[in-house]
Formats: sequence, C-alpha cells, structure tokens
Amino acid sequence: MAADNHSIFIIVPGFNEALVIRQTIETLFEKKYSVVVVDDASTDNTRKVLLGLPVYYIRHLSNLGQGAAIRTGMQLALKKNAEYIVTFDADGQHDVKDIEKMIAILQQEKADIIFGSRFLEGAATNVHRSRKIVLKTARLINYLASGILLSDANNGLRAMTREAALKMQITENRSSHNAQVQNLVKKYNLKYAECPVNISYSDYSKKKGLRNINSIRILYDLILYKIFR
Amino acid sequence: MIPIQIVLISAVVFIAFYMYLRLRSSLLDAVLIFLFCGVAVFFILFPDMTTKIAQWMGVKRGINLVFYSITVFFFFLILKLYSRMRRLENKFTEMIRENSLNKAEELSDKKS
Repeated sequence: MAADNHSIFIIVPGFNEALVIRQTIETLFEKKYSVVVVDDASTDNTRKVLLGLPVYYIRHLSNLGQGAAIRTGMQLALKKNAEYIVTFDADGQHDVKDIEKMIAILQQEKADIIFGSRFLEGAATNVHRSRKIVLKTARLINYLASGILLSDANNGLRAMTREAALKMQITENRSSHNAQVQNLVKKYNLKYAECPVNISYSDYSKKKGLRNINSIRILYDLILYKIFR
Repeated sequence: MIPIQIVLISAVVFIAFYMYLRLRSSLLDAVLIFLFCGVAVFFILFPDMTTKIAQWMGVKRGINLVFYSITVFFFFLILKLYSRMRRLENKFTEMIRENSLNKAEELSDKKS
C-alpha cells in the first residue's frame, strides 16, 4: 500500500518551528506521503532547514494564522490531485503511525473526515491536568457553536477525503478554525468519526504550543465568527 | 453665546467641512453630513430642547438622552467597522494565499 501513498497529502502548517520541523517531517517520508509545508511567514530559517527534502514548500508573505495556513496547504494539495488530506502539527506532538489508522477508517467506513482525539480509549498522552480542563471546556463550547460533540475539539491531527477537503472553505484564519471545521461538517452533513491518537508533549511543544490563556483569545474569535460569518 | 458653544460649534463645523472634503463623492453624503451638522449646532445653541425631547420620551434630563443615543450609535459603528475589517482581512488573506501558491516550490532539488 505504501506505493500509492503519494496521493495522501500531509499538510504541515508551521510558524517559527525551524528547530523541530525537519525532524517532524522526516518521520513522514518512511510511508512515502506527499508533504506540504506551509510556512506562515516565519522569521526563523524554516525554509533553509528543509532544503533538499522532497516537500512542497509554500510561504505566506505575512503571518495569517494556523487556519489560513491549513487552507493554503489544502488548496495546493487539491491542485496536485490529492486523494486524502491530513493536517499534522509541525512541533512533533503527533505520531505518524496514526495517519495510517485514520486513512484506514476513511476507507473502511466510507467516512468523509476523521478527527484525532487524545481522550479516546487507546490514545497515549501526557497532557497536563490544567490543559485537560481547558480542552474539555473547549469541547463543550465547540459543541455549542457547531452542533457536533467531539471528545477532543482542538486536535491538530485530522484526515479527510478529497471531496470533504473541497468543502472545507476555512475562513477563520486563527485557532477558531477548529470550530469552523466542525461547523462545515455539520453544514454539509459530512460523515465523521474520531480516532484515538497519541500526543506527546515535549518541553518544546509545551513552550511553543497554545498556552491555556490563549483559549480566551480563541473563544473571542469564535464569538465574533458566530456573529459575523 | 457662551464660550463652550463657540468651541463646540467650531469643532462641528470643522469636522463637517473636513468630511465633506474627503467624501464629496456623492450628493447624499454631503446632505447627510450637513444635516447632522445642522442638528448638532441646533442642540448646542438650544440645549434645553434636548431636555424637552428627553422628557417627552420619559428620560429625566437631556444629557442622559444624548448619552444613551451616543452609546447605541457607537455600538452600531463598532459593529460596522468590525465587519468591514473582517472583509478586508479576508481579501488580504486571499491575496497572500494566491501569492504563496504561485510561488510554491519543491525543495528536493535545492541544496542547502
């Protein structure tokens, strides 16, 4: 099956992740996935550390946010005739083995989109307790905003079919895009499922990733999105 | 006329004139600006009129009525500005995206 994995596109949005992005991406080549790196106007040498790797590299001229970067990457992947599109965080918190599982669910259950979850049984994670509370709250808020209840509302690992990707017109540039994706799933009545995924928080990803306080910003974006969409 | 009236009226006239110079694109804009300006000058000259209108509406003092109206008006203005900002942000995003997609590159044959 590894032979035709080139039609599975992994979108890796990154902002100033030069320290770890090469290491993260190298794990993806073992399975011969196509990789699209979207550099959201990093000020470090992200492009330089990736030179020589078989990846598509796109760079935003100005920092737009994770949601915008994902959409840009998806557009390129669709142009390159991607069959499946997976979003994967650049900081190394995801496990490449989970991609295979998610694609398998897409194929077997004829689902349109699979959300990764660190809270389902079978997922290994070292998530901190305070972070857990925030994520559980976010889950309820996203449910209220979108009508879809996921066990883990803000997981960066997602897999979808080409048809679903064509419908994912993300206009929320920042982190509230998670809720928007759920909204679009509801709107287009897409078949979705969840898959337990492993998340490993390194000291690096803890420092770089979203802090709990950011959730207030996300909530604010989300309210504005609900009012103005 | 008391000094504050002179200050306020000159300010209103200046703002109206400035806005007219900037947005003289349509006749309607000009009419609206001068209508607003006229109403403002009228109430500056006859502040007791606001109290009369306020009492007719069930508010005690004219200044309170002015305050309430301004609050509502500003809230409306913020919403308008915010939705315009979102539209601009969307356009900006589209431009950045198109530019970045046009310049997408494959890094495999590029040496460090």
